[in-house]
Amino acid sequence: MDSMSTSSTSDLSRRKRKKKSPPSPPPSLQKWRSEKQQQIYSTKLVNALRELRITQPSPNPRNGRAVREVADRALAVAARGKTLWSRAILSKAVKLKFRKHKRQRITNPALTSTVTATGSIRSKNKRGAATVMRIKAKGLPAVQRKVKVLSRLVPGCRKQTLPVVLEETTDYIAAMEMQIRAMTALLSAVTSPTEHEEGQTHVLGVW
Amino acid sequence: MSGRRSRSRQSSGISEDQINDLIIKLQQLLPELRNSRRSDKVSASRVLQETCNYIRNLHREVDDLSERLSELLANTDTAQAALIRSLLTQ
Repeated sequence: MDSMSTSSTSDLSRRKRKKKSPPSPPPSLQKWRSEKQQQIYSTKLVNALRELRITQPSPNPRNGRAVREVADRALAVAARGKTLWSRAILSKAVKLKFRKHKRQRITNPALTSTVTATGSIRSKNKRGAATVMRIKAKGLPAVQRKVKVLSRLVPGCRKQTLPVVLEETTDYIAAMEMQIRAMTALLSAVTSPTEHEEGQTHVLGVW
Repeated sequence: MSGRRSRSRQSSGISEDQINDLIIKLQQLLPELRNSRRSDKVSASRVLQETCNYIRNLHREVDDLSERLSELLANTDTAQAALIRSLLTQ
């Protein structure tokens, strides 16, 4: 009877899985699909964009990339540091600023597991534990190759195990879909009102 | 879900079931493969391939949107006002 109780949780999870795959997505994905989350992100994005300096020769390819980085960083902040990919994006931005300290941090593994005093964000597994890409069950070379490619596409997943990569991928895809929705809405909000702009200024007299 | 994750970190062996579960969850996110359900079981390799393609597409879309936004921001006066306005109307 005791053994039954200890294995009951695993039994329950197995029983849940055998019944039927639940139609509703898990809560983390629902978060990215909610209206509220998109508004939070749009606000962050607009604020960050307002502080962005556009370098003057106007069709400049670097501007597009700067906007992309701002958008990605805002997205990572919206994730609230709970996922590897978001922490990797933020640490990439911090690394560019503190390139001198980077070498010291690599040689000192004791600092990597905890959040350092300067407040920089480090992903948990990155340097301390030497995690190698390991395929537990799917030993097929085709699958291994694809998981490796996938791990390079998702930020922060290059040296992660298969289940971690898959889980990060699902969250990353949902987050990017929201990012695209928010940026599209922002674009259409910015472009179309300018056509009616003169009409509005006459009517409202505000701007 | 978080319970499953912590358990899988402690025990080094990940069951094939858990991996299949994750792959099925991933499949349901992909627009291409969402409709074909249990009738034709899609291979893990196919799901991963579609995932890579989809993520590359998403990246390209974001890059494209970033380009257009940056072009807009280049005209600062109208863009600033429009940005503020859009923020208020939301």
